[in-house]
Amino acid sequence: MEENKNVDEHLDEHNYDGIQELDNPPPRWIMMLFYITIGFAIIYAAYFFWLDVGDLQDARYVKKSEIHETRYQLASQSSDEIVALTDAADIEEGKSIYKEMSCFACHGMLGEGNAIGPNLCDDTWLYGCDFQSVFNIIKNGNAAKGMTPFKTQLSDARIQKVSSYLLSLKDSKPPNAKGPQGETCE
Amino acid sequence: MENQKFYYDNKTVKLFLLATIIWGVVAVLVGVLIACQLAFPAFNFGLEYTTFGRMRPLHTNAVIFAFVGNAIFAGVYYSLQKLLKARLFSDVLSKIHFWGWQLIIVLAAVTFTLGISTSKEYAELEWPIDILLTVVWVIFGWNMIGTILKRRVQHIYAAIWWYLATFLGVALLHVVNSFELPISLIKSYPIYAGAQDAVVQWWYGHNAVAFFLTTPFLGLMYYYLPKAANRPIYSYRLSIIHFWSLIFLYMWAGPHHLLYQALPEWVQALGVTFSIMLIAPSWGGMINGLLTLRGAWDKVRDSAVLKFFVVAVTAYGMSTFEGPMMSLRNVNQMTHFTDWTIAHTHIAGMAWNGGMTFGMLYWLLPRIFRTKLYSEKLANTHFWIATLSILVYAIPLYWSAVTQWLMLREYTPEGFLAYPNFLETLTQILPMYTLRIISGIMFLTGFLIMVYNLFKTMAAGSVEANEAAEAPALVLAGKRKPLNETIHRWMERKTVRFSIWVFVALFIGGAIQIIPMIFIKSNIPTIDTVTPYTPLELEGRDVYVKEGCYTCHSQVIRPFRWETDRYGDYSKIGEFVYDHPFLWGSRRTGPDLARAGYVNGPMYKNSAWHYNHFMDPQKMNEQSIMPRYDWFAKKDVNLDMTPNKIRAMQTLGVPYPEGFDEQAVDDLLWQANQIVAELKLSGIEIEPTKEMVAMIAYMHKLGRDIEPNTNQNLDSHDTGE
Ligand code: HEC
Ligand code: HEC
Repeated sequence: MEENKNVDEHLDEHNYDGIQELDNPPPRWIMMLFYITIGFAIIYAAYFFWLDVGDLQDARYVKKSEIHETRYQLASQSSDEIVALTDAADIEEGKSIYKEMSCFACHGMLGEGNAIGPNLCDDTWLYGCDFQSVFNIIKNGNAAKGMTPFKTQLSDARIQKVSSYLLSLKDSKPPNAKGPQGETCE
Repeated sequence: MENQKFYYDNKTVKLFLLATIIWGVVAVLVGVLIACQLAFPAFNFGLEYTTFGRMRPLHTNAVIFAFVGNAIFAGVYYSLQKLLKARLFSDVLSKIHFWGWQLIIVLAAVTFTLGISTSKEYAELEWPIDILLTVVWVIFGWNMIGTILKRRVQHIYAAIWWYLATFLGVALLHVVNSFELPISLIKSYPIYAGAQDAVVQWWYGHNAVAFFLTTPFLGLMYYYLPKAANRPIYSYRLSIIHFWSLIFLYMWAGPHHLLYQALPEWVQALGVTFSIMLIAPSWGGMINGLLTLRGAWDKVRDSAVLKFFVVAVTAYGMSTFEGPMMSLRNVNQMTHFTDWTIAHTHIAGMAWNGGMTFGMLYWLLPRIFRTKLYSEKLANTHFWIATLSILVYAIPLYWSAVTQWLMLREYTPEGFLAYPNFLETLTQILPMYTLRIISGIMFLTGFLIMVYNLFKTMAAGSVEANEAAEAPALVLAGKRKPLNETIHRWMERKTVRFSIWVFVALFIGGAIQIIPMIFIKSNIPTIDTVTPYTPLELEGRDVYVKEGCYTCHSQVIRPFRWETDRYGDYSKIGEFVYDHPFLWGSRRTGPDLARAGYVNGPMYKNSAWHYNHFMDPQKMNEQSIMPRYDWFAKKDVNLDMTPNKIRAMQTLGVPYPEGFDEQAVDDLLWQANQIVAELKLSGIEIEPTKEMVAMIAYMHKLGRDIEPNTNQNLDSHDTGE
């Protein structure tokens, strides 16, 4: 206490249960900081509202979306040009996509089908067993029936791989397989 | 002047101290439990009473109202008496206050466990307990102001300014946020809808932080820190400036919880700018505290009390810088809905509120028990464990927030989301949740060491329930002496006037946001295709509220490409006009559900999927941490209440046709039977009155109105025409 005596002025009369108060001014920098933040607030309001320079969130979304669209040309190929892959590595990747996208939640771990989605390893198909049909149903889904459209989540190349994986499951005969649904198809 | 003899009431202080310790252990224990649940869903125990959605409100409320609340009352009642040289105003009020508050806590614990909740964060208590809380709070204020009025000291010291602001602020917030229409003893709907409800709720939520976790603790700091350090307060002028600027500015900043959400931009801008302006006033408190310790740093080395205070005040400074930064829109993109906010609140809660409370307990309890602290060494051990545990908490969660955010917004070179399955981003951060458990156990260990230390201390001492003291009676100083008395100094002895000005400062910020949101139509642009909830959907929504699904799921999509690609079109203000309460949530532990019902969107799942998912999320997805809700298939919706609910909604302005309440149950069963039939196709048998059916209907309502005619079969019967 002593060493500061000549610096700090005690306020007389300010003694509350032994607590005294000093007459120091607030540090300069904290007041500066306060004024700067007030300045920031005014500039912020002016920028977005009074001068209308800044984009509000709707306008900003439109702009960002345009940039996004030009950066990624989401041109999708026609399924006719895409064919089944047979390379083991591609099939393996298709399998990991099947897992990554939680297809198993609706079709079972091994594609055996469950209460939600149909068996994908048997020879009956709701949408057709040729490669193009399988590709299309995964891409466009049938939302009302419970099959999610994956076109916004998976690129054509990845749908191609997962479709190829599914077709490779034919005759794998997993346990607990769900009964036939749709038309028999070779 | 003649000295008057009087007695300090130490018994009330002692009771609040004990309650602080006991509830503190409970609050931290529940915290550890929910931390375990997030890492290992088995800790939900498969019981409805112990699921995360119900335990999380229990944890937050126990920390805020039980642990911190009791600490505030103990600290305030002790210091108030000493600073005013007067006994607490009324022994009866003190008693009612103490037992009333404990009753509220017990009721809260019981009702949350039973799933009785309003779903408004930190205001989950249902209306009867809200009323009880109001009464007890007013009793606290009455007791405090009564003590102030019969004081034996001319001026009220800075600590007491903060106590007054606390009382008035919380009263205002709690009352305005709790306007709700009861439909039974245990259920009510807030009168505000959608975006309005959101503004009111986060005006409350933000300022609960301000006026329950900040202002009372600044008051406590102004008393206990100079007392423990035996040093004068660094700057009286700084006290004044940061007090008034802080209480005035805080009330405006609530909308920073709602950035980029379905809210008018001018309201959001208030949230941003006022948060930034709060940095200096908050730091004013920190530097006045730290500079008060000038020349006492050698004491800090040995004293656990002072070490706790230093860490607390420093953490306060960090949090009050971090908070405004998180209010900047670009930063908020990342911090909102991720673990960043959770880390932020825990630095504030564990270090600032925890640290101040621990320091105060170690200083005050031995004084009340007229003995020495049993072991200074154990107190120091507690300090180091607690401090370390805060780091073990915060660092992993910051890492988790950044990681998840980066993953959520990453695109493949073809322009697809790199991690379209939300669960992948969650799986990535799960190890951090395990570290959090370790942090919780450390913090709890430190806490228990303190409990042991304090109980040993109590055993060694005894309380003097009524401690004798003397002071001259107060002779009021009369008119202001303009030459040698500043206006503020004069106000410090005009306590009623002082309180009125505090109230005015508090009132303005809230009024300017809330009144226009409610009365100016252009703030809530409506959308014609948005229809009210059918009775079944409404019942499902109430189950959602009851189970606290909002603790893990948001229902508002922000206008970012990486959100709209993942969840669907971003949310519009007009979509929420029938939402009493709003359910936007504040943390996405699971994916956003705002468009779960939009058939052609990425989130839609059919009824069978929902059924299986609620029955056992881990069966659908091993990595999921969502608790199972298999009782949805067993428990019935209470159809007796349905007409009441419709009538309540009509009272609140939801445009159901006249007399619709009479048809509500028929309508409900009609819609339920459709879902039952749909489930049957998938081989699932269920009765139409089960909660499961209502919940599925609600899921399928979410966000689908923005594009009409996607679900005609349900709409055509909607209003029973
Ligand atoms: C939310 C549940 C769900 C998910 C997730 C899901 N599906 Fe489906 N899927 C279904 C349902 C339901 C059907 C049947 C639709 C019908 O009945 O018309 C189906 C049908 C299919 C079909 C057509 C089967 C046939 O018999 O013609 C294929 C192929 C398919 N899904 C592949 C996939 C792949 C690959 C994934 C993962 C990328 C996936 N599904 C994810 C629910 C799902
Ligand atoms: C502990 C946090 C937690 C709670 C509480 C919780 N959920 Fe979830 N929820 C999750 C997680 C994580 C996922 C993602 C993994 C999955 O699908 O299970 C999820 C997924 C979902 C999905 C699937 C979204 C989709 O389309 O991918 C729905 C629907 C859902 N939850 C609804 C609910 C409802 C309704 C409640 C309340 C009864 C609830 N959740 C409670 C964490 C939670």
